[in-house]
Amino acid sequence: MTLKECYAALNGDYEEAMGWLRSERLVQKFVLKFLDDGSFDLLCRSMESGDQPEAFRAAHTIKGVCANMAFSALLKSSSQLTELLRGGDMGDQAQELFERVKADYARTAQAIQAFREEAGG
Amino acid sequence: MEKITDRQKILIVDDSEMNRAILADMLDGEFDIIEAENGEEGVAMLQKHGPEISLVLLDIVMPVMDGFGVLTQMNKYRWIEDIPVIMISAERGSSHIERAFELGITDFISRPFDALIVHRRVVNTILLYAKQKRLTAMVAEQIYEKEQRSSLMIDILSHCVEFRNGESGMHVRNVHILTETLLNALLRKTDRYHISQADISVISTASALHDIGKIAIPEEILNKPGKFTPEEFAIMKTHSMVGAEMLENLPSYQNEPLVSFAYQICRWHHERWDGRGYPDGLAGDEIPISAQIVAMADVYDALTSERVYKPPFSHEQAVNMIVGGECGQFNPLMLECLEECADEIRQELAAGGEQRRSQRDIQNMARELHRHKELTASERSLELLEHERMKYSFFASLTKEIQFEYTISPPALVLNSWGSEKLDLPEALLDPYQHPEALSIINKDVQSKLADALHSTTPGSPVVQCDCKLTIKGEERWHRIVARASWSSEEPPRYTGCIGKAMDIHNSRLQLENLERQASHDSLTGLVNRAYAKKRIIERLEDRPAGRYAMAILDLDYFKSANDTYGHMFGDEVLKFLAERMRHSIRGGDIAARVGGDEFLIFLEYKDDLEGAIEGIYSRVSGGVYKDFAISVSMGVASTQEAGCDYDSLFRCADQALYVVKHSGEKGHYNYYHKENAIDTATSAVSPIDAESKEESE
Repeated sequence: MTLKECYAALNGDYEEAMGWLRSERLVQKFVLKFLDDGSFDLLCRSMESGDQPEAFRAAHTIKGVCANMAFSALLKSSSQLTELLRGGDMGDQAQELFERVKADYARTAQAIQAFREEAGG
Repeated sequence: MEKITDRQKILIVDDSEMNRAILADMLDGEFDIIEAENGEEGVAMLQKHGPEISLVLLDIVMPVMDGFGVLTQMNKYRWIEDIPVIMISAERGSSHIERAFELGITDFISRPFDALIVHRRVVNTILLYAKQKRLTAMVAEQIYEKEQRSSLMIDILSHCVEFRNGESGMHVRNVHILTETLLNALLRKTDRYHISQADISVISTASALHDIGKIAIPEEILNKPGKFTPEEFAIMKTHSMVGAEMLENLPSYQNEPLVSFAYQICRWHHERWDGRGYPDGLAGDEIPISAQIVAMADVYDALTSERVYKPPFSHEQAVNMIVGGECGQFNPLMLECLEECADEIRQELAAGGEQRRSQRDIQNMARELHRHKELTASERSLELLEHERMKYSFFASLTKEIQFEYTISPPALVLNSWGSEKLDLPEALLDPYQHPEALSIINKDVQSKLADALHSTTPGSPVVQCDCKLTIKGEERWHRIVARASWSSEEPPRYTGCIGKAMDIHNSRLQLENLERQASHDSLTGLVNRAYAKKRIIERLEDRPAGRYAMAILDLDYFKSANDTYGHMFGDEVLKFLAERMRHSIRGGDIAARVGGDEFLIFLEYKDDLEGAIEGIYSRVSGGVYKDFAISVSMGVASTQEAGCDYDSLFRCADQALYVVKHSGEKGHYNYYHKENAIDTATSAVSPIDAESKEESE
């Protein structure tokens, strides 16, 4: 699996990521690093415990990283969740969106995992 | 030991490790990166590394303390003045950005960010701050040096007074420290006295002069160990007024703040709040604040110092005595200050104030610089510069010249407004060589000639001049361009461009051309005159001596009778008619000239067939009639082959050949000069007047 195929699998925009980071080395490096970032775990924990400010920050961080990595699908759902949480909403709608984020994250993680294994990482 | 490093330190404050890693990666290799994962850690890093940090990259949304919290702290500790902050955030609301700029950030980069932009902005910001820091330091250094010198002189002077006074030498120093400390305390308390940081520095310096009038008090009174008699006290009391008068009588410097503060201090440092002091009995805030402060400092130091007649009192005792009114009444506000800064006073006096003071002076100066209050010198230079520019543009607008300045890097042409209007070009033109309208004004050859000439000047003689045609709004006009090359001051000097002007010389040029034409042409026939023909012929002969040339001298037969019969006007017409025929019978490179009277000359170059060429010319020139007058021409011809390759020989021989025709009794034909037939050199067909003018022209 190439980096490009990995981007296709996680519903991202490889060209855009190249535009932001300007080198394939950097894109690959941070794609591989993405799964190590603790923000998603933090989001899950704080959604469970109902810690709205923490959940907002975690979603916000995921959104920021996804924007720079051009992980388009996850960027979209995490942005929407961020805006809901910013308003203090932890209700059904937020939970629903959170499920979307989880699904998108799982898909992203799966693609990166596959790429990582083939890249020998 | 401290780590020595040339690399600039950048602090990245962001809660996402991933984000920090991306940013660090973008800047790695050029900078030392330190990281903090929330605002509080960031502030701790700033505290720890201080001004070693060249730049902060700051996120907004973070746990514990967010980006705005960090900025608030940076403002509180004034770090924001020295350390630039670039904020990076996915927050797009303009209120966020506005608030961040209000809190002093230098730049804002939205997320997602572009690696190149982040890198470029970081580098630019660091360069900008480094430059500003260097400049501030340079100016502060200069001001500080100047102030240091004047305080040194004042200290020496006041120590002389003190020495005569038998005092320890510490009094002046202590009064200085106390004045400064009390003024700072007062400034913190109220702004009703309108004292600036700069004033504090000047007043503290001037405080050293408070007792300068004592120099006029007789030594026996000054150093009397016991109590003063009322008469002695009266004399002693004159020192404040005497000091003030000494300053007032200074021949210059009356407008110096230092002198006016010193005057207030000398005269009124023995006045008291309740009006019971001397010499003027001023009360309350009638007493200038500078004098009030120094009065208190003077009393405090006298109380806490040892004197022959008393032991030193402690700080508390002294404060109690002052507050209790034992040394006269003081401004209640200042009594508060004295009580409040008791600790500070003790520390400052113990430390001698020196070190800390000079550091604070520099800080104050730097602060003043930020507010542009101390920049009067450079402001004045700027004003002068502005004035010069105004003068220049005024005169430039009067001269009606095109004035220009060209720089190579960046390639730009700047025109004065008159020139810009005249040429129909903008006043500033980037890359003029890419601008077709600019290029169309000046011919390409002239352009490169001018550029070559400028490039080959030297810094010692950089001016070039050239006359050329400029096409302005479709009209070609002669201009004189005078330009001065600019050379850089480095070794070897580099050509950097030029300044210059172009003056319209079209009319004078035309006049000149006209004059030249008049000087070289015969006004009646329009042919060139003999002198000019001679010049041209000599040029031709010298240019190509190997060529074959011939000269024909023509004479209009029976011209005298035409004049006599029909009048001179008619004679002129006949001459014009013949000249016109000559013009049409020669080829491009040949020369036809009027020698004088009814004699003409033709100079031609031939290849093989001279006879054919001469026959052709003769047949077109001679024969036929003008009105009723028959045109008959006699002609003598000499070739360089026969006569020699110089003008005089050609002329002489053609003249001889003509002479032969004229005297043959059979006019109206032509004759060649041949060496073997040469006759007496004195004989000439050309009339004496012409011969004379020939002499003159030689």
